[in-house]
Amino acid sequence: MISCPKRWRSYEEEEKNMSVQVYLPTALRSYAEKRETVELDGKTVGEILSALTGRYVGLKEHLFSPEGRLRHFVNVYVNDEDIRHLQGVGTAVKPGDSVLIVPSIAGGSTALAEGAALSPEELRRYNRHIIMPEVGLEGQKRLKAARVLTVGAGGLGSPLSLYLAAAGVGTIGVVDFDVVDFSNLQRQVLFSTGSVGKPKLQEAKARLSGLNPDIRIETYETRLTSQNALELFKQYDVIADGTDNFPTRYLVNDACVLSGKPNVYGSIFRFEGQVSVFKAPEGPCYRCLYPEPPPPGLVPSCAEGGVFGVLPGVIGSLQAVEVIKWILGLGDPLVGRLMLFDALKMQWRQLKLRKDPNCPLCGNNPSIRALIDYEAFCGVRSAVGASNGSPLPEISVEQLKARMDRKEEFYLLDVREPFEYEIGRIPGSHLIPLGQLPERLGELDPQSDIVVHCKMGGRSAKAAKLLLEKGFKRVTNVAGGINAWSERVDPSVPKY
Amino acid sequence: MMGEIERHALASHPEECCGVLLGPIPPDFDRQGRSVEAQEHRPLANAWESGGRGTRYQIDPALILKIEKEFRGTGRGIVGWYHSHPDLPAWPSPFDLSRAWPCYSYMILSVFKDELRATRSWIRSEGGNDFVPEALEIL
Repeated sequence: MISCPKRWRSYEEEEKNMSVQVYLPTALRSYAEKRETVELDGKTVGEILSALTGRYVGLKEHLFSPEGRLRHFVNVYVNDEDIRHLQGVGTAVKPGDSVLIVPSIAGGSTALAEGAALSPEELRRYNRHIIMPEVGLEGQKRLKAARVLTVGAGGLGSPLSLYLAAAGVGTIGVVDFDVVDFSNLQRQVLFSTGSVGKPKLQEAKARLSGLNPDIRIETYETRLTSQNALELFKQYDVIADGTDNFPTRYLVNDACVLSGKPNVYGSIFRFEGQVSVFKAPEGPCYRCLYPEPPPPGLVPSCAEGGVFGVLPGVIGSLQAVEVIKWILGLGDPLVGRLMLFDALKMQWRQLKLRKDPNCPLCGNNPSIRALIDYEAFCGVRSAVGASNGSPLPEISVEQLKARMDRKEEFYLLDVREPFEYEIGRIPGSHLIPLGQLPERLGELDPQSDIVVHCKMGGRSAKAAKLLLEKGFKRVTNVAGGINAWSERVDPSVPKY
Repeated sequence: MMGEIERHALASHPEECCGVLLGPIPPDFDRQGRSVEAQEHRPLANAWESGGRGTRYQIDPALILKIEKEFRGTGRGIVGWYHSHPDLPAWPSPFDLSRAWPCYSYMILSVFKDELRATRSWIRSEGGNDFVPEALEIL
């Protein structure tokens, strides 16, 4: 055994006595090599703390704000005396002193953020909220501190974001990547005639900021994907789903469950709408209600099936109701209930939703633990796949035009509805609506070359698949349908 | 122990209750998915100003200091905290998040008048932007 020379030992002891002992709480030890105490030199608390964060860089963000000030929920004691009662970080320390870092522990059930004070203009603006005791000043501040993400700036996203902005939700995020079209104006009340042709987000931001300049509008001009959804959702308190397609709807649901966010859901179809709030693990998720997406093409989109223009106004407004209730912690959230609205019968029905213990996402033994490929899950890519699994032959509208110009012999089949055929048609096409096709197969020659189109390519893909299954050999789908024809080949055919 | 915490939450309604969870500090305390065994709890006074305790709690740092000192050098200590949400769900609020520390388990009890509706446990996510639910196993 080697003993230390006496002189060296005394130097070491002196060194120890020269130092200040810093005690770390359990929550921060992981950032300091799991140490409970650290010995440091310095003349003031400020010097000690900067030596500490210099040695253990990971501690810095927990102790100091980005501006370099000690965070207000960090308590520092010198020998059991709170430095707030001494000279703050300027408090002198001497060798042998103890500096103790003690977390301030607080929380609560509501969302009031410090600093969310309301200006006199805001007090006037929100007066009709504030005078209701259920909202009050506290509730209005809570709305200001809240962050809500709306996925889609369309029929649902329009009334939803307008009411959230009017109500004073402090930060509204909007995801969309579309351009305003004339056909949007019948229901998408965020936009005006002058918006046509402009990016939706640019128009939405201008409209919402005009309505309420005191709030922040964050825009994301991108498609929501499995790669960006979780990162985006974690920045928000509530997610409102205003999407119009199944892949994105499942993506929103899954990302909400995986990030623990409430999903305020709405959907519309022709004259009917649905609203619910999905919040796992406490309540069911969208997959508990619809474990599988419908077969592609079965449920037409608004563009294909049409939609009663005021319907999204009803449903999107109810989504806003649920978002605002959620933020305020008011009333009964629509968790575990699905509201069904029928505008023609003017009837509401309420379905009780149960959590599915076998749900692959939020059930007892979940198999989905990360976001997946939603286009593949919903069969969108295989929507153009033939029955044997090989891809369905497809041509563009330009290729169709070229074949016509070359006077090639083929049968051009239009599977839209008669009223759509009245709006406009591609010369030489024959109309058999998709719904009548199974009974009218006899009108077609199985040996002929059949080219199928509809409005946008969805229904015709379904028709082409049916024909192939029935033994037709040469069937081709027109990608993009007559709307693509109108855009890229013949603008005199009306786009609708 | 759970029974006592639940009784504490029920007795404090309509105010929030709060307390500390104590146990061995696991070596992987900062990892999500770690296992924390709370062997002991202590109810603590809600030190938030009166009038606001229905939606807020605060723990006197002097008490935390005392507990930290008591367990110094033992390998045991504060593994988490519990508090109640009177008449509201047992998931964390943005305010809880704004005050959350890393590593600790935050157990929240949802209490409606005479009824305990749910008890859930949460850990702050690594980036600090969110809470992640933790499995809560009552031994």
